[in-house]
Amino acid sequence: MTDRATSLLAVGAALVFGLVIVVGLATGPSEPATAADRVAALSAAIKCPFCAGESLADSSSAVAADYRTLIEQYVEEGWTDEMIRTEFARNFGDSVILDGSTSSWFLALWILPLIGFAIGVWAIVSMRRSSDRSRERADAH
Amino acid sequence: MIAAAGTLSILLALAAAIALVVQGIRHRSTGSKRALRGPVFVLAGSAFAAFVILEVAILTHDFSIAYVANNTATTTPLVFLFAAGWAALEGSIVLWGVVLAAFVLLVWLRLDDEDPLGVLALAVMGAVAVFWFGLMATAGNPFAVCTGAVADGCANSSWWPFAERAMPAEGRGPNPLLQNHILMAVHPPMLYLGYVGLTVPFAFAIAALVRGDTGRAWLDRTHRWSVVAWIFLTAGILLGGWWSYEVLGWGGYWAWDPVENAAILPWLTATAFIHSAVVQRKRGMLQAWNYLLVIATFSLTIFGTFLTRSGVIASVHAFTQSSVGPALLVFLAVVVVGSLTLLAVRAKDVSQAPRLDSLSSREGFILANNLILTVLTIAVLFGTMFPLLVEALGGSEVSVGRPFYDRAAVPIGLLLLLFIALGAVAPWRLATGEVLWRRLRWPMVVGLGAGAASVLIGVDSAAVVLTVVLAFFIISAIAWRFAATVSARPERVDRAAAKVVRNDAGYWGGQLAHIGVALVAISLATTNGLAVRTTVTIPQGETAAVGGYCLSYIEPFARSEPNREVTGIRVAVLDGGCSEVLAILEPRLNTYAGTSQPIGTPDVWTGVVDDVYVGIAGGTTATVDLNVFVFPFQWMLWIGGLVIVAGGALALARKPLERSGSSDVVRSEPETSEVRR
Repeated sequence: MTDRATSLLAVGAALVFGLVIVVGLATGPSEPATAADRVAALSAAIKCPFCAGESLADSSSAVAADYRTLIEQYVEEGWTDEMIRTEFARNFGDSVILDGSTSSWFLALWILPLIGFAIGVWAIVSMRRSSDRSRERADAH
Repeated sequence: MIAAAGTLSILLALAAAIALVVQGIRHRSTGSKRALRGPVFVLAGSAFAAFVILEVAILTHDFSIAYVANNTATTTPLVFLFAAGWAALEGSIVLWGVVLAAFVLLVWLRLDDEDPLGVLALAVMGAVAVFWFGLMATAGNPFAVCTGAVADGCANSSWWPFAERAMPAEGRGPNPLLQNHILMAVHPPMLYLGYVGLTVPFAFAIAALVRGDTGRAWLDRTHRWSVVAWIFLTAGILLGGWWSYEVLGWGGYWAWDPVENAAILPWLTATAFIHSAVVQRKRGMLQAWNYLLVIATFSLTIFGTFLTRSGVIASVHAFTQSSVGPALLVFLAVVVVGSLTLLAVRAKDVSQAPRLDSLSSREGFILANNLILTVLTIAVLFGTMFPLLVEALGGSEVSVGRPFYDRAAVPIGLLLLLFIALGAVAPWRLATGEVLWRRLRWPMVVGLGAGAASVLIGVDSAAVVLTVVLAFFIISAIAWRFAATVSARPERVDRAAAKVVRNDAGYWGGQLAHIGVALVAISLATTNGLAVRTTVTIPQGETAAVGGYCLSYIEPFARSEPNREVTGIRVAVLDGGCSEVLAILEPRLNTYAGTSQPIGTPDVWTGVVDDVYVGIAGGTTATVDLNVFVFPFQWMLWIGGLVIVAGGALALARKPLERSGSSDVVRSEPETSEVRR
């Protein structure tokens, strides 16, 4: 098989598999989050108010188990995730919400790594540019 | 007697560390190995003696030593008794000291007779040892004698070994969590070997900067040390995850706890460092960056130690608040400010004109991954410090946990996987589109094929599918490269394969580790994205269906062990049709002497695909509430971790490089990976 034919075969196979993935994910039977999924996600996102820095999901203490049961009840009663988060924040303070979103400094949490990323990209690209220039200088000599 | 002997050992080690610094500086020009012999052997000998004396005190239940009284009991099983030597604050510092002293001895043994760089590096290690043994001699003395006994332990202690003692009748015993699984005896020493091992490249880097010797000699000398330390750190983190999974009972292995973060931070920068060191050794680039990474890595090990031992953060890992914290903070400040000042002074010498021929090259892709690892480090470091910083700036109390880290780490991790695949197969200097296409077209098909297969069997999480695609892309790209390199040789396949690996063990060891990373990535994705987590209530004799399996509650049981009361249940795991018994599990609640709160211990069945993880959530002996988790491909995390460690070990088998002066060109590394196909 020629190299060109091999390439075409690979592109064809990649396209077919890619299509299966895209169509499968877009049209698949994406089940809505079950009550258990929601309880698990909320328990992981809310800090156990009386444990050593653990989320309700991570703590094996009895009190954390009680709060998980409470979340389960809220979910069964039809509360939204936001309502449950707000209820916990109201009772125990904003600091039980584990994604940092309750702080007015919240944006800094995301911006600093992004600034680091931008500086890094700039540094790498400028290494390439300066090497272009040094090569031009070398060629000129 | 034991307190006096222990304290004397520590003071002797401290004196030897000071002598090592003085001798190292005095002989920095001649580089006389001989001149350091005395301090090195006294340091190693007395540090080892301090460790042995502490263990003897623990094993003989000498409760006149406050540490022994407060962290062990006569009922503690032997293995946990031995592990108590490092399971609490003061003992952990002794282990740190003895490991550091061992590294000092090993580095000294490998010095040349006249070795100015090595001698100065040992002086730096001596300075680090002065800090640790100084800490043991003051704020963190493990041999303080008990002067105020209470019912189970010691309330007051004195540094003076001949102070009047009060011996409690029984000790307090270790923290129940720390005596619940054998891994607790292994996980901390592994981490310490990693943490402390990273002192070696740091010491050589600082010595090279002090000497103004800014070539790659320090990198050549410390490459193996860095990889060894990295292997131990990797193994330590994995064992910690395994312990968490087996013991803590919440059905996970990583919680982004601040102290877990503290352990992963130096691992991230050390991983970046061992890659960028290769770029400097191959291509003469990144001198300043390598210094910065090795300084950051060492500083982060101290930062992690500070976080654990200062009480500034609430964590299941944290030791009690102590005066060791401020000392560590001062040491951290000295290390960071001192090292960066030194680097700034030498900035002109280390910032040579960069020579990146093309962004599309192995060094370009390694650089990209260095950047990604650094950004992840910044995100994790900033997330960990964020609550403290916000409070310090007058903001209200805030928490940063798993939701933030997961959201940040998933896209970063996916990018990392992509560049691992590209870097693994790209040639140095320039990877033309044509070369990359030829090397990656079939791996791309394999990756997409695996992703399509996962969609067809019902996976509906885009993150999981994307991870599967990239992981198979990595594995097949490396396999393809290996097959192409082997088939280019004239020998029989098995001999050719052995020769290829032997000739370039550094490269192929790295690629084996990358395959391990791909396996770990699949497991991280499936155990997070496809897990079933639920609580079921089952009366005795009944069966419940959970996540494609059936669980049948057989009977309760109870037994007394010397150090704990065990109550648990026997539960059968059956297949989805509830017909075939796959395993009998025994999740338990262990109540340790002196504590009322039982510690839940889950039990796990590992099948070909799934882990079925069962823990007791509550209920009565008649009707039990069980936390049940079904984790697909959990085993792949442990196997992948093992493959990463094996890859690191294989990379150590590389042929030693010729010692270089300040040359920037590697002379003896083969280029088998560059077969043009």
